[in-house]
Amino acid sequence: MRRHTRRVYSVCYRFVGNRTEAEDISQEVFLRVYRTLASYRSAHGGFATWMTSVTRNLLIDHYRRTKRDRLTDSLDDAMPVVESKESSARRPDQQALLGELGGQVQSALTRLSPELREAVILRDLQQLEYAEIRQVLGVPEGTVKSRINRGRIELARILQQMGVRPS
Amino acid sequence: MTWTCDQIEARLSDYLEGLLPAADATEFERHVKDCPDCAPLVASVKRVVGEMRSMESLEAPPGLIYKILDQTLGRREQVTGWQGLWNFVRGLGTPKFAYGAASVMATCFIVLSASGLSLRKPKLADLHPASVYRNVDRQAHLAYARSVKYVSDLRVVYEIQSRLRQDENQLQVAPEEHAPNGTTEKKPGQGDDQTHAQPNQQNRANELARQVQLLAAECPLMLERSLR
Repeated sequence: MRRHTRRVYSVCYRFVGNRTEAEDISQEVFLRVYRTLASYRSAHGGFATWMTSVTRNLLIDHYRRTKRDRLTDSLDDAMPVVESKESSARRPDQQALLGELGGQVQSALTRLSPELREAVILRDLQQLEYAEIRQVLGVPEGTVKSRINRGRIELARILQQMGVRPS
Repeated sequence: MTWTCDQIEARLSDYLEGLLPAADATEFERHVKDCPDCAPLVASVKRVVGEMRSMESLEAPPGLIYKILDQTLGRREQVTGWQGLWNFVRGLGTPKFAYGAASVMATCFIVLSASGLSLRKPKLADLHPASVYRNVDRQAHLAYARSVKYVSDLRVVYEIQSRLRQDENQLQVAPEEHAPNGTTEKKPGQGDDQTHAQPNQQNRANELARQVQLLAAECPLMLERSLR
């Protein structure tokens, strides 16, 4: 139970970048799993994969639900990006707020499109195999590889925009 | 084949995960080495992937599991007042609690006995650290002396028993050695062997009695126990 909770919460937090929302979605995931446990078939993959699949579906639902809010806030969101691009070297306090590279990566992840974000999270953070990701996302393996590749490149570019340079 | 920047981008993850054939990997590296756009991109992606792979899985908030259990299995009953007290008292009557309590009491008794505290006539002065230390030290020395005496007594008893057994064996073997000679090899003019064996047995019995007396002088109490 603890292991599953940890994994589900981790995926949720990496996707939404917010502790409260991650906690709420994690609860929804377990509730959904509890109610639809009868529909689980081991032939469709391991229990963990099935649970990750439920988590992913709820995350996408959440993303769609909150899309309108994000569009409203998009103008506000764009401001700090422009600012950080122009004056990252002059604002050490903001750099400190961002924390170490891990925190910057987390921040950059939330700016990726949901398709690329989920692929990168499952591959590089949850370290699932391509076959497992294919089962979770329900797309061909070629698409999975393509999304992971594009997600990584996009993430690196966002980090460059945030002022993070390759060492 | 010369690779373009688009091809480098498209195969970047394959290269990082070691999925490119050796020839393609060589071409990939050759392009990246000379390309001012691809070199920083590859370095950035490599760093980001390395960082993500090293990021640990997050710990779930402490109350999350209970919230999930409340939502799935239902809220736990909050028992308060007399019912709660009754449940607590009922819990004390379980075998598990009784076993635990008995263990604790036995441990306390052993510790108190070892520290020399008299349970019949408890005194406040016995709880003074110096007095506790003195009692424990005395008890330890007493226990050591008793154990040494016990081992020594056992040694004496075993020694007596082994000597008695040894002499009994000798007494049993002696007639067997003489019996065949008397029946099979009867030489003309030779008398009965029993007439010669009797003085030997008598000598051994005397020797045995002497040894027992010697040991008895050393430890009369042990002799008494062994004879019993």
